[in-house]
Amino acid sequence: MTAQRRIDPLTWLILAFIAAPLLIVVPMSFSTAPSLEFPPPAWGFNYYRAFFSDSRWLQPLLNSFIIALGAAALTMLLVIPASFAMVRHRFHGRALTNLMLLLPLMAPHIVIALGYYSYFGSLHLTQTYAGVILAHTCLSVPMVFLTLSAALKGFDRNLERAGANLGASPLRVFRHVTFPVLRPAFVVAALFAFVQSFDETVVALFISGRDAATLPRKIFDAMRTEADPVVAVVSTLLLAAVIAGVIGSRLWQRRRKRVNALAFAMQ
Amino acid sequence: MTTAADSNAQPQGAHYLDIVDAVKTYDGVRRAVDGVSLAIPKGEFVTFLGPSGSGKTTTLMMIAGFEEPSAGDIRLDGRSLVSIAPHRRNIGMVFQNYALFPHMTAADNVAFPLRMRGVERAGQQRRAAAALDTVGLASMANRHPRELSGGQQQRVALARALVFEPDVLLLDEPLGALDKNLREQMQVEIRHLHRSLGITTIFVTHDQTEAMTMSDRIAVFNNGRIEQFAPPLEVYARPATQFVGGFVGDSNFLDVVVSDPARGIVGSSTLGELNTAPSALAGGTAARLMVRPESFRIDAGSDAPEGRWNRCSVRIEGSVNYGDSVLVMGRAGEIPIRLRLSGSDAMPLREGDTVRVRWRPEDSSLLAR
Amino acid sequence: MGAISASAPAQAPIAASRWARRWLPWMLLAPVLVYLAVFYLVPLAIVIVSSVTDPSPSLSHYRDFFTDSFYLRVLSRTFATSLIVTICCLVLAYPLAYAMARREDTLVVAMLTVVALTFWTSFLVRTYAWMVILGNRGPITALFRMVGWDPPPEILFTRFSSTLAMVHILLPFMVMALYSVMKKIDPALLRAAQNLGASPGRTFRHVYFPLSAPGVVNGCTMVFILCLGFYVTPVLLGSPREQMLAGLIGSQIEELLDFGEASAMAVVLLLVTLGLVALYNRFVGIDTLWG
Repeated sequence: MTAQRRIDPLTWLILAFIAAPLLIVVPMSFSTAPSLEFPPPAWGFNYYRAFFSDSRWLQPLLNSFIIALGAAALTMLLVIPASFAMVRHRFHGRALTNLMLLLPLMAPHIVIALGYYSYFGSLHLTQTYAGVILAHTCLSVPMVFLTLSAALKGFDRNLERAGANLGASPLRVFRHVTFPVLRPAFVVAALFAFVQSFDETVVALFISGRDAATLPRKIFDAMRTEADPVVAVVSTLLLAAVIAGVIGSRLWQRRRKRVNALAFAMQ
Repeated sequence: MTTAADSNAQPQGAHYLDIVDAVKTYDGVRRAVDGVSLAIPKGEFVTFLGPSGSGKTTTLMMIAGFEEPSAGDIRLDGRSLVSIAPHRRNIGMVFQNYALFPHMTAADNVAFPLRMRGVERAGQQRRAAAALDTVGLASMANRHPRELSGGQQQRVALARALVFEPDVLLLDEPLGALDKNLREQMQVEIRHLHRSLGITTIFVTHDQTEAMTMSDRIAVFNNGRIEQFAPPLEVYARPATQFVGGFVGDSNFLDVVVSDPARGIVGSSTLGELNTAPSALAGGTAARLMVRPESFRIDAGSDAPEGRWNRCSVRIEGSVNYGDSVLVMGRAGEIPIRLRLSGSDAMPLREGDTVRVRWRPEDSSLLAR
Repeated sequence: MGAISASAPAQAPIAASRWARRWLPWMLLAPVLVYLAVFYLVPLAIVIVSSVTDPSPSLSHYRDFFTDSFYLRVLSRTFATSLIVTICCLVLAYPLAYAMARREDTLVVAMLTVVALTFWTSFLVRTYAWMVILGNRGPITALFRMVGWDPPPEILFTRFSSTLAMVHILLPFMVMALYSVMKKIDPALLRAAQNLGASPGRTFRHVYFPLSAPGVVNGCTMVFILCLGFYVTPVLLGSPREQMLAGLIGSQIEELLDFGEASAMAVVLLLVTLGLVALYNRFVGIDTLWG
């Protein structure tokens, strides 16, 4: 069982199964045919032009951005103090609180979507930014909580003690020591919340609509009714964003490691 | 023979740092610190020595302000520290894992306490540079902690703790992560810094060699209490309790009964009558006699040196040759005995051999049982 | 606890800080807990209450659900499909995670990047990809025609297409769950087993597989639970005559406007899901479910 140099074909096959289907949306987006014919009979930027000039697509795109931003901000505001409380304090009811904070992750979205449909309906919050932001915030709480808790658990308390020992009041310790060291984790958590809200489909189907329709809702409707290549354009754009994000973060990590190694070697 | 009270006799001079009957209880049950009292004069280098869980780190944390005493007081220059928040105590501290701020350069780390005290930018940079220079790291000022080796990080931590000229310096097992050579080098450097700055220093360690080489006085901790607070040689030669005797250095213990306290004679069921120094224990007291392995000499019998010597026969069970000495493990009667023989005595001994040894009464300590 | 023997004024700030220390965690938690109570627990309660009060107080919805063979078929279909998806994901993910866990080089970083990419891509995009692939003008159909199968079978909007797409979508979850556990298996254990006389096959059976078991349990639980409540893919790619539970709930609202009925089904789904989570927590511990 020593590490082998070659990877066997089965592994490649499985990897291909995972990755290849995604790739199909890219050429599809450059098709000019009015159907999902693959391979496309003709190529062009038709559907890109169609997408970028159609407010019925651009409005939901903008809506999703605004809603995701709002949900991410609100989630961070609520969860940052909560995670400090959960990680650093011991008190009765901690287990129950933990359960509460993770509940939105455990319940299927369709269940709470029903609830929002009725609840927000009677509050006249459906088809508004506020309603979707409020709902998406709930759904993001668990993931952000898990991310921040993990970061806090790994945080060296001695750094804060050193800060205090050297003369910083508790508030200054947070500003000069705790926050800067935790900043990467804050960014990742906020990103999780943003992406989760941006991609969220089921709840959005039930409570967003008309002016506040989200992009996933529009995609879903389009897939149900039209199934034309415009969806391929959106998919390609989303895929490109994810690729940029994932590869960007890997490169940034490698750059940090290389800088350190170089500096160390120069001593 | 000294008693525990004698060992804790205070030298003349103002007591700068006073720990008065400090107690730390967790959950109302576990006493991590159980009535610790220390009077430390200004400028002294004190080591807190003891096994893990003995309360030495907890006591240090109480001085720094990160643990609140459940009872008792801690006074600096007459003022009680207990109600003062940690960031206002003006005490320098080096943490076990250095706790250097990873997002700041070495220079920024060292300048941090000055910044917190409102020193202007130019002054911060000047004094931080000077502090780094003192520990020999002037060229590393713009490096981040992750770019520094363990020894270098340690020195930055020292510079940071001293740059603001604190009243007291606390060191929490700072040398544990370093390899042997680096550790010994740092021990010398810390001692040197202490002497040139004259700062009252408390050093926590579980390594008794470290305590012996660095301290003016050692406070030996066990189970939340201090068993002895005395200079290193006294802790070694005149341990106040069996724990101190066993923890610091290697030792042999024999169960004895005090026969004649005035003349220093005790009785052992196995070895008969033995001579020690005159003792303060009353006749008939059950006690323990402690003899260090290196106190034994081979007794050739023919030469009869001056003074009262104790003698016994040891049946050899095994030996380890260290080059400069031989550690012999054997039994005197049923009692396990360890001998460390050096010089001309360090001859090859075989399992099963019997050897006759002697030791001087002054080389033993009598401890209450 | 003994009182501090220092002077009296020192007591006041300490007493004040003790009070603050006792209530501080709750003050920090209040915002999120109140928020969740108002914006999550209330709508959840509405669903539960509606299931027994809409249109009139009764358990009729539940009775319908558990007696009508149509609903029971939907339920069993949902369970069966979830089981199939879970097993397929495990079978595919295990060799991949195994291959990745044994290596340290840049190739494995590339493979992890690929898995991460699919992990972060929205369900909708991946569902659409399958719509293209399995569509009647897509590459698979073209393949069928090439081998002479004309007209080619309808594979889209069937249980098969929906299951296949779900396997594809949930596979990265299983891979990550397995990989994170496999990565921690000490290679020295495997060498020790071989040194003690176990062949590679027996080493796998007696040492490696048991050590990877936590990852298997973790991944399977996660995939199974996600599958039970899956809405998007079965609705878009599955057969409208062979719905799964989440899709059925949706159509109860959209087409039949029967909120009470939908709520009852949602409650059943919720209870099953929470029951599985509780089971997992009892035997394993909930903290490990999300790594």
